[in-house]
Amino acid sequence: MSSWRALILRIGEKCPEYGGATDSKDHIETCFGVVRRELEHSGNDILDFLLQCAEQLPHKIPFYGTVVGLLNLEYEDFVKKVVEKTQTNLQDALDSGDCNGIRICLRFLTVLICSKVLQPSSLVVVFETLLSSAATTVDEEKGNPAWQARADFYITSILSCLPWGGSELVEQVPEEIERVLVGIEAYLSIRRRVSEIGLSAFKELDKTDKVCDEKDFLEDLWRRIQDLSNTGWKLASVPRPHLSFEAQLVAGKSHDLGPISCPEQPDPPAGLSGATLGRQKHDAELKYPQRIRRLNIFPANKIEDLQPMDRFVVEEYLLDVLLFLNGCRKECASYMVGLPVPFRYEYLMAETIFSQLLLLPEPPFKPIYYTLVIMDLCKALPGAFPAVVAGAVRALFDRISELDMECRTRLILWFSHHLSNFQFIWPWEEWAYVLDLPKWAPKRVFVQEVLEREVRLSYWDKVKQSIENAPALEELLPPKGGPDFKYSAENGDKTENALSAELNGMVKGRVTAREIIVWMEENVLPLHGIDVALGVIVQTLLDIGSKSFTHLITVLERYGQVIAKMCPDQEKQMALIGEVSSYWKNSAQMTAIAIDRMMSYRLISNLAIVRWVFSTENIEHFHTSDRLWEILRNAVNKTYNRICDLRKEISSFKKSVVAAELNASKAKAELDAAESKLTLVDGEPVLGENPVRMKRLKSYAEKAKEEEVSVRESLEAKEALLARAVYENEALFLSLYKNFSKVLTDRLHDAYGDGVLQSNRADEMAIDNEGSSAMELDQENGRPKKSLHDGGRASNGYTIGEKEQWCLTTLGYVEAFSRQYASEIWPHVEQLDAEVLTDDVHPLFRKAIYSGLRRPRCDLTSEY
Amino acid sequence: MSFYTTEEQVYELFSRGGEIKKIVMGLDKNTKTPCGFCFIMYYSREDAEDSVKYLSGTILDDRPIRVDFDWGFQEGRQWGRGRSGGQVRDEYRTDYDPDILSNLCILILFFLEFARGGYGKLVQKELEAQRHLVDYGTGSLGSFPPVMQPQYGRHGGNHGHGGSHRHGRDYNRKRHREDDRHAPEMSKRTSDHESHRNSDHDSRPEKNPRFRESGDSDDDEEDGRKRRP
Repeated sequence: MSSWRALILRIGEKCPEYGGATDSKDHIETCFGVVRRELEHSGNDILDFLLQCAEQLPHKIPFYGTVVGLLNLEYEDFVKKVVEKTQTNLQDALDSGDCNGIRICLRFLTVLICSKVLQPSSLVVVFETLLSSAATTVDEEKGNPAWQARADFYITSILSCLPWGGSELVEQVPEEIERVLVGIEAYLSIRRRVSEIGLSAFKELDKTDKVCDEKDFLEDLWRRIQDLSNTGWKLASVPRPHLSFEAQLVAGKSHDLGPISCPEQPDPPAGLSGATLGRQKHDAELKYPQRIRRLNIFPANKIEDLQPMDRFVVEEYLLDVLLFLNGCRKECASYMVGLPVPFRYEYLMAETIFSQLLLLPEPPFKPIYYTLVIMDLCKALPGAFPAVVAGAVRALFDRISELDMECRTRLILWFSHHLSNFQFIWPWEEWAYVLDLPKWAPKRVFVQEVLEREVRLSYWDKVKQSIENAPALEELLPPKGGPDFKYSAENGDKTENALSAELNGMVKGRVTAREIIVWMEENVLPLHGIDVALGVIVQTLLDIGSKSFTHLITVLERYGQVIAKMCPDQEKQMALIGEVSSYWKNSAQMTAIAIDRMMSYRLISNLAIVRWVFSTENIEHFHTSDRLWEILRNAVNKTYNRICDLRKEISSFKKSVVAAELNASKAKAELDAAESKLTLVDGEPVLGENPVRMKRLKSYAEKAKEEEVSVRESLEAKEALLARAVYENEALFLSLYKNFSKVLTDRLHDAYGDGVLQSNRADEMAIDNEGSSAMELDQENGRPKKSLHDGGRASNGYTIGEKEQWCLTTLGYVEAFSRQYASEIWPHVEQLDAEVLTDDVHPLFRKAIYSGLRRPRCDLTSEY
Repeated sequence: MSFYTTEEQVYELFSRGGEIKKIVMGLDKNTKTPCGFCFIMYYSREDAEDSVKYLSGTILDDRPIRVDFDWGFQEGRQWGRGRSGGQVRDEYRTDYDPDILSNLCILILFFLEFARGGYGKLVQKELEAQRHLVDYGTGSLGSFPPVMQPQYGRHGGNHGHGGSHRHGRDYNRKRHREDDRHAPEMSKRTSDHESHRNSDHDSRPEKNPRFRESGDSDDDEEDGRKRRP
């Protein structure tokens, strides 16, 4: 007989613990039988473990609910504790804003109603508390509509419970539940529809004008619930094991829940300026994010034909498995493929995983996690899943020009990594036609970047071989060559070659950096000037460090000071980056790594990198390759990481300060107590408190005080550093946006006029039959419209001109950077408004920033 | 035996787990050649944890890799590096404060070897794991027979029989790749070795990257460790 732990854990699964049986009634009886025997000895352990399982394997909640219901017949007190503990957990989750905790506690409570453990009316009270909090939040006078994200989340949580107990609630407390539903309907009528702008993976540009007609996530869920209610609350995806035990369960005593409370929403900001409201809204959305954004990539005839609510439930299951079994590979894959539902769902599963991989602003886990899950599922379901994944790749590829730039990058990284784990096998011949497209066509760039990443993960010849079905694609492979050293023996200026050789000799002779600086200042600079000096020294050092990442680091550590000496300002640093880029022109990876390392050693400032990326010769490549964007991403990312590191350190120092204060005051109190004891017996010979102890206490107290002071000083020092870092951050983003603005302004005017898109409107009218109101909105948004028709057309009907694609790509990155670093940008939004988003800024540029920040547009206040 | 995975390949894969600080290729004590493992240091512990969770058991450069924490690191060994290296590194992401060193994380990455049975065992393990997987499937997907032919790739499952064949192919090609960069450097390395017999690690940049001692001279320690698994 298996242990109670194993039985609780594995309930509902076909597994050895249950002798391979699959009848859930048997499972519940077996589990109940063992658990009841152990209850006396291990009641508390069982309580904790049971609740943990219900939390972390939430797709099995109905089984746990039924076991609890059976226990309730004999062990009322134990079950009372289950209910109380769940209530405490729910309250904690509400207080801390733990979305998953709230959702799952509510689901568990709902299931406890099915097994007669809980009074239905007490759950209704919980629902009403949440509903009332939500309604208050969106009330413009009493609440703070900037926090609608939380209100929406509360309502979503209520609705999400109904698949698990809707029919029981309607049967047992029809009026109360009706009241809740009417309340939700009323809530839906006063809240604002949430726009997807800036967060949808596809820029369905032809749909931006339809946005007002489209249901948002909550409205969509509401529609599904209405569907469910119309079909008598029946759905295939939720097991209902309690039905087999109904006759017994009714005998149990139903428990009550105490009251719960929702935290108050933060006060709205005093001045109702767009910026402060937007900032609050951003914070709220970050804390209560939407869990999934459906991609809808598969054609209707491919994806499983499920009831709308079943689809929602399976998505919930999958997302929960991904969440709770993160890092536990085998179990994660086995639960993903073994959900307790009687239908197939490979397509739904693939779409759900891809929707997470491409979730904006960011997925709950790093993209490599989803990469791993997809690999594991391909192995677990070798007959079915690889084909579904391939279908998803094709579907995404067909719409790549509509895909958000950040998503494109994630897709490239995922796909190259995935293929590298499956022998680089892919039917490249299907995509060979991209060679006929112009070099800036998104599909062509995608193929080129996937191949680039494949080469990085593997090596050139291997990847070349993998495209043998489409040998012409070799044209898109990165160059095969190694570094391009200016001063190699065959070419280059003789004098400069000699200087380079001299330097090489010095490095080999392990001359110090100091000596090289002297050599440079006395022998090179005066005779040859700074340009030659920079070229010779940088290229030679790079060449010495060219053999590997570690060689590079070693050279930079030893001779970084020489470079620092030569490149004290941004201009010289830009020249330095230029030398790196020229030396490593055949390797995007090494260029990026070398620049990244130089920034680490503070040989290059982030501002110099930004300026170099936006230099005249570089901007010409914005739309044809990822090379420059990677460098820019690295620079911004490193700046951001520096700030995060400092924040982490500060928070840990703050804890140390508190601890040190506590220590110091304790020591002081002890000393004081000892001293007062002495004064009490003043005049008398001192016997009780001997001087040795006094001395010791005194020294403790002093030491503790010193410690406190020193920790406090460290904290202050860190805070000063953080202030500097925040300042640098602000400078970085301002510079980034100014540069974007500078390069975009003329080109946007060139390609799109003043943003009204005159040239495209005729085209638009022919296709768009959404009516005049849609047209107006379209003008206002001023979005380039051409790309949207690309996806729908024959796959190589790419018609976008170079200028337009350049603008689309660059705007895409404006949006992506704004979105990814929105939390860092929001604090500086006033400066941004003053210095970048001036009145004459191009509307498309403004729109890209606003979308990325999810900032309500002043002229479209209804959006917020 | 292929031990030709480069630092750059490692960097490309592992930088997807977070910003990498340093890579140290493990070398065979006698031949000074890469021998199938390396250390990766991240700036942040979470990134290191994620790499262990998500990259272990995946494939890099056609070989399954195992990724683990370098538990030995926790016993304050990191300080040894600065000492033996003779210089304190001054590169930190937040290079404001040398204390950041205490946040370093180290991973070991094993390139499982074909010839010594490691690979075969791994396949077995994988197969076992998959049998296990299918057993668990009470549900929908596991219990259906596959209806669709895989449209691309001989995915999954065929590592076993594909292994030896691929190995042979790879071996030749990789030898070739190795030879490209290798032959001239070999001689250079030898001469370096002669002329700087007593030198410390400073002379390393001239050597073949594949035959390089790590950035610091703590090879002995590492050699000791690498035999542990």
